[in-house]
Amino acid sequence: MATLTTSRPGAGVPEGRPHPKAPIGSRIVKVLTTTDHKVIGNLYFVTAMAFFAFGGLLALIIRLELFAPGLQVVENLEQFNAMFTMHGSIMLLLFATPLFAGFANALLPLQIGAPDVAFPRLNMLAYWLYLFGGLMAVSGFLVPGGAASFGWFAYAPLSNATFTPSLGGDLWLLGFGLTGFGTIMGAVNFITTIICMRAPGMTMFRMSIFSWTVLVTSILVLMAFPVLTAAFMGVIGDRLYGMHIFDPANDGPILYQHLFWFFGHPEVYIIALPFFGIVSEIFPVFSRKPIFGYKTLIFATIAIAALSVTVWAHHMYVTGQVLLPFFSIMTMLIAVPTGVKFFNWVGTLWGGSLTFETPMVWALGFLVTFLFGGLTGVILASPALDFQLSDTYFVVAHFHYTVFGTVVFAMFAGFYFWWPKLTGRMLDEKLGMIHFWLLFIGFHGTFLIQHVLGMQQMPRRYGDYLVEDHFEFMNQFSTVFALLLGLSLLPFLYNVWRTQRYAPMVTSDDPWGYGASLEWATSCPPPRHNFDSLPRIRSERPAFDLNHPEAAAYEAPAADQEVLQRLRTDDSTGGRTSTAVLDKDGDHR
Amino acid sequence: MRTSSSLFTLGLIFFIPVAAIYAYFSNFEPVGSVGMLLLGIMSGMVGLYLRATLRKLDESPSDNPDGTIAQGAGEYGFFAPYSWWPLFLGFSAMLVFLGLAVGWWVFVIGVVCAVLSLIGWTFEYFRGDVI
Repeated sequence: MATLTTSRPGAGVPEGRPHPKAPIGSRIVKVLTTTDHKVIGNLYFVTAMAFFAFGGLLALIIRLELFAPGLQVVENLEQFNAMFTMHGSIMLLLFATPLFAGFANALLPLQIGAPDVAFPRLNMLAYWLYLFGGLMAVSGFLVPGGAASFGWFAYAPLSNATFTPSLGGDLWLLGFGLTGFGTIMGAVNFITTIICMRAPGMTMFRMSIFSWTVLVTSILVLMAFPVLTAAFMGVIGDRLYGMHIFDPANDGPILYQHLFWFFGHPEVYIIALPFFGIVSEIFPVFSRKPIFGYKTLIFATIAIAALSVTVWAHHMYVTGQVLLPFFSIMTMLIAVPTGVKFFNWVGTLWGGSLTFETPMVWALGFLVTFLFGGLTGVILASPALDFQLSDTYFVVAHFHYTVFGTVVFAMFAGFYFWWPKLTGRMLDEKLGMIHFWLLFIGFHGTFLIQHVLGMQQMPRRYGDYLVEDHFEFMNQFSTVFALLLGLSLLPFLYNVWRTQRYAPMVTSDDPWGYGASLEWATSCPPPRHNFDSLPRIRSERPAFDLNHPEAAAYEAPAADQEVLQRLRTDDSTGGRTSTAVLDKDGDHR
Repeated sequence: MRTSSSLFTLGLIFFIPVAAIYAYFSNFEPVGSVGMLLLGIMSGMVGLYLRATLRKLDESPSDNPDGTIAQGAGEYGFFAPYSWWPLFLGFSAMLVFLGLAVGWWVFVIGVVCAVLSLIGWTFEYFRGDVI
């Protein structure tokens, strides 16, 4: 039996894993106590995906319940209320918002050439507050009386102790208070990192678009989240301590709605802007062109952020107590910078050498889906039309097109794009395509028809409808495709498992070949403090300049050498630095 | 830092006039008027603080379009290699919030834990430095 002495083929130290793995206990401790932004980013990703799956299951229960008139799945409509309340709040506050923190953590320090974020321990605290707050909010399912059931708006007086006295409601409000604090801490951290920790030569107007969107989003978080936390603590005061802040006797419900939407509308852009940033990173790479209109894209981002804080009451048209012309004009104005962004993205694609790898396909899926959502948004911005459509399935379809279109499509685009940077392995392209088409068809099948349902006045949040309403076919259509949408997560999970198990390690720093921003100038995955050596930064595409020096020889508009020379020699005479002079011309910074 | 300062100051320039217009036409609706006024003040505060700080600091190589990586050499800052305190503080914060819903005794335990965690966090890297 000579075979006994020969070792199993492939035994010994496998390739790409030079060190034997540490014991499981010490690896767990390492993750629990980490202050590494990349590990924290991964924690955010894993947690957010778990909440995404949970929220998705709740959505499937909602869809199955609406499959036919009568009650099929839930025992009573109170349970149905809990389903859509938890679905909405989980998706917005425990999936989409933390996903922003996840992408920002994973990528921001890499893109600006920093070794870590400014406050690593605060960063970890923000994650724990998110996790514990989130678990608190969903723990309502385990207590008597069930989870919160007053809708994710938690409108007063429905959310007061008389109408929803359950413990689940208290846990929900307090849990989201806690995650709110976590989100604010994360935002402070990102802003400080961007202001103080950019690599030499990385001026503000050389940062990648994604880093810019992180900065602007973080400022929006600082503007919006304190208002939400304050409003929720007010509701807690009313529920538990006999306060009368949102008492209907003194106009409390309108006060609450104003406060909630003063948070609520910027929140929509908090979860949209970073994902605009993600696709803005992807289009140039797969078009082999620099982003078209770099600065206009940044100014459009700032304009969207500023306007988004002035439109909150378009969610309150039907109260009849808001300044309709102001909010209508402001809402329609937002379409302008958003249109500028579309123009830039299409301009980036235009005339490029496009290739259709998975990240690009997902980013195009985003473009199509979000365009639909944006167009119905303009319809709903008009009060006369909104009075007809408010609180119908048209609105449900509209915000799923915007929010799902940006968050989910851009998230998967980002995952397929940055997976080699996060883990060192490329996700499987074929499975990625299957995943995309299942999700794309499932999504549009589910929600396109809901526009029609809404126009035929099917109200949202109803767990049941009559046979005479003739909603049955459209609801069944929507439900069948929703199941397909739910199934589409399976190829992704299989892909992740398979990639981790069988895919070879990436050997190059830039596996897509045309990466532009700085993260493609370090190894996959990056070392503990991100860079062994930083390249010279002279444009908004430092990694591209590093990996493709030949591109500098191509024909391109160049700065006037004489002017540059004059600017650079000026500093020796006037005692000023050359940057100060450049700055006066409004250039570079 | 000048650009980031301008970015914040932009908020001051935008929100104060919008707040005034909104307050005038809505007959002073409290939440929006006060909210946007405060946003303006907050943006202005951060923007002007950055501008004041800028004056006290040397030119940062990250704001220099001709900055070289070597200019960033030297002491960079201190980064905690790992820490238990975020977990402890996060868990105590959860106990405090949970206590509001469940009962005062959880709240008290939470506050005690939070104080201990905060002390641990603050003095994690200052042990033995007491004069």
